[in-house]
Amino acid sequence: MEPPVKIRINSLSFCYNGRKVLRHTSVSFSTNSITAIVGPSGTGKSTFLMTLNRLWEELPNCSLQGTVEIRFNGVFSNIYEREFAVEKLRRQVGMVFQTPNPLPMSIFKNVAFPLELAGEKEKDFIRARVEEALQKVRLWDEVKDRLSESALSLSGGQQQRMCIARAMILQPEILLLDEPTSSLDHTGAEAIEQLLLQLKQNCTILVVSHYLDQVKRIADRVVELRDGQLCSR
Amino acid sequence: MIRGCERAVERLFFGAAFISALITISIFGFMFVFGLPLFSGGRFPEIMTRPWAPHLGVFGIYPMIAGTFAVSLLAMVFAFPLSMGCAVLISVTGQGRLSRLLRRTVEIMTGMPTVIYGFVGIFLLIPLVRGIFGSGSGMCVLSAALVLAVLVSPTMILLFCDSFERVPPSYGHAALAAGATKIQRFLHVTLPCAGQGIIIAFTLSLGRAIGDTLIALMLAGNGVQVPASLFDSVRTLTAHIALVFAADHDSLEFRAIFVCGMSLYLLTAILSLLARRAGSKRRQQ
Repeated sequence: MEPPVKIRINSLSFCYNGRKVLRHTSVSFSTNSITAIVGPSGTGKSTFLMTLNRLWEELPNCSLQGTVEIRFNGVFSNIYEREFAVEKLRRQVGMVFQTPNPLPMSIFKNVAFPLELAGEKEKDFIRARVEEALQKVRLWDEVKDRLSESALSLSGGQQQRMCIARAMILQPEILLLDEPTSSLDHTGAEAIEQLLLQLKQNCTILVVSHYLDQVKRIADRVVELRDGQLCSR
Repeated sequence: MIRGCERAVERLFFGAAFISALITISIFGFMFVFGLPLFSGGRFPEIMTRPWAPHLGVFGIYPMIAGTFAVSLLAMVFAFPLSMGCAVLISVTGQGRLSRLLRRTVEIMTGMPTVIYGFVGIFLLIPLVRGIFGSGSGMCVLSAALVLAVLVSPTMILLFCDSFERVPPSYGHAALAAGATKIQRFLHVTLPCAGQGIIIAFTLSLGRAIGDTLIALMLAGNGVQVPASLFDSVRTLTAHIALVFAADHDSLEFRAIFVCGMSLYLLTAILSLLARRAGSKRRQQ
């Protein structure tokens, strides 16, 4: 039996600085699966991810047409409807960027940041969740004694794992990853791959990747973005 | 050849920096030399602590120092929240056309001659203050501070905007992707990162407020007294210099304006040193 659809995209067009990145493309993604998005550089894979959490709205000179529906609690909602709160969406659709982007605060505060934004006040609960998230990305042992140090002092690979922990701490239903292992060494990348395979039990994962070996190892489905269209490969 | 050129350019820059520093120090020396007759005979403490009574041979500038602090600090109390609000609207929460329009308006305001603000103060604000609070002529600390706040705000707004826009966009994206609202992003990420710029903007604006002459001269009333309320007439150091300079040129009374100049010089120098120190402390953190 086919797993139920989690994300349904209908005739999506996206224009960035006058360039059409997506042209009336329609595609859907299944619940609890890993979809790899591949394609040549500069075709708009990262931008496509941003249409799923509306982060593109922060970029200048962009426009979008079409619908993106996500199933939350069994009901599809168009995330571009006026009454759909964008902050609520982003708490359920986590995102990890290609370049690690730690905030200029401590390691602990970085990972706990989404919880605090969501209004969580219980210190013990936050501490437990931070530890759990850092353990999942295999960073806990490396940073447990220096959680109060600036996250900017971590190495690139450590920063990226911390960013993944931050994206996961709210236990989002969807996780968007833009080449998450590009700044990691072999061991770090392997840990993240294992983690993604674990996470897909409860999470729908879309990952942009240029590494075909990695795509083969983890993806349930591969989608290629070419000429503004998303097509299954 | 290239090395020779580089050396020449280096010397040129060094010469320019040296001359600037020399001019700045010379100005202080010039004021000290001209004010020397007032310092002789142990009169310096008297100048800093006594009132201004030239007919009694007392040339204290203490009331003017108090007036300067009262007007400029009150101006900053009004200007800081106003500027912060406008800067947030332009750089953080505002969208496209509105924030562009607001920025252009603020940029135009920075270039407006001070006397225009003075006219607006005299013909609109003074009658209003007199009417609402019903005390005196309306030329007082409050009137001068309100107009001075409007005068320094455009510069402060643009400096705030600049410091907000220097925060790397990746920080903003990380915060928004984590579920932050624009205000949360501002409070948790932009504001802490822009702290150094905010301190510098505040200090520079305070320096401008302290150094402004015309607004205080036109609106503060020029009464030589230590203000006890917002509605008291006061005279600032700059206004005092302008007033004495217009009436005299060789008496001890006239020499006192050089002491006022030195006080202003030291005040602004201390402010910029404090700003630099605060800036470097935040950088270290």
